[in-house]
Amino acid sequence: MTNDVEMIAGLESRAGGHAVLSGALLAASRRIDALFAAWAARWNAEEWHFPAVLPASELDRLDYFSSFPHLVTFPVVLDDAPDNLRRLASGEIGEDGAIRLPAIAPVRDVLTPAACYHFYIELAGSRLDRSRYLTTVASCFRREKFYRPLSRQWNFTMREVVCLGTMEEVAGFLASFREALTRYFSRAGLPVAWQEATDPFFGGISNPRLVAQMVDPVKTEMVFSGELAIGSINSHRSFFGETFGIGRDGAPAFSGCVAFGLERWLYAFLTRFGAEPERWPAELWEPA
Amino acid sequence: MKNEAEIRAHLARWVAERSNHPRPEEISGDTAILEQRLITSLQVMDLILEIEELSGNSIDVSRLRPGVFRDIDTIYRNFFARQAE
Repeated sequence: MTNDVEMIAGLESRAGGHAVLSGALLAASRRIDALFAAWAARWNAEEWHFPAVLPASELDRLDYFSSFPHLVTFPVVLDDAPDNLRRLASGEIGEDGAIRLPAIAPVRDVLTPAACYHFYIELAGSRLDRSRYLTTVASCFRREKFYRPLSRQWNFTMREVVCLGTMEEVAGFLASFREALTRYFSRAGLPVAWQEATDPFFGGISNPRLVAQMVDPVKTEMVFSGELAIGSINSHRSFFGETFGIGRDGAPAFSGCVAFGLERWLYAFLTRFGAEPERWPAELWEPA
Repeated sequence: MKNEAEIRAHLARWVAERSNHPRPEEISGDTAILEQRLITSLQVMDLILEIEELSGNSIDVSRLRPGVFRDIDTIYRNFFARQAE
């Protein structure tokens, strides 16, 4: 489908694999997120909204930079000394489209790589007297080796539904969410298979975290048509609870999340049901 | 080499020393070590080294399958029982 992106009304592509949406496709994309939100509402998940950036120091607590240095994107500003700013003001953009930056100010933030990180930072140090269900949609950034509109973008939209609680509470949440999604895929006629997966750790097999995920799979992806993960179900065990001091029932809280890649769902719908959203089956909009 | 009871006790002690709550006697053969996060993901490599030392065999990390370190029963079955046969 990606070769025909320009042929679809309401979808333009830009460098970086970005998709520009308008008209019926934009409306469809909003309805897809409303579908995710309807699932989140089953668990009375509280909706939060976060900034596009999160503190690098918090991400460092997760060992993010040693695990995923190849994915991270930093927002930078210039050292604000007038001479330095003048260097940019009088500079030129190269023919390759790259801008030469003069001195940059210390970088203390990261552009959000995954929506749910914000929750653990916000809940740091808290004691939960019941399981918590939370949801947010975030504009996320991950650097990749190549990009394609809708299916692999530098900047993409991720909706997550998160549960924090005891091991049993989180396991129950993930299992019933998975059942609901399995019913939905079947009813909607969307060819999606569940597949165990690992995160793309830097260093591959030499990274101990990848070895740990190989022997203890914590990620199950929703793979559309054997080609593209449109979402995933993730068990974090008590990693975030321990790292951020979040307690539940006298022990570090367990957590798990269901993550949806909005543009990839749009890609799946377009591929499976065609370029005109008004012709898509009504079952697509009913959360099972 | 240690006998089966000694190996199992050694593994239970090793896990308990790295974990916050259970005592070795509370770690039974089917206690889920990774699922309950009794050891962290970074300690999985230490567990591999410990098993290598105990068994005298090296482990090919690239060929490890899901669940091989689930609990002490599974670890014993995968890395020690065959040797004893």
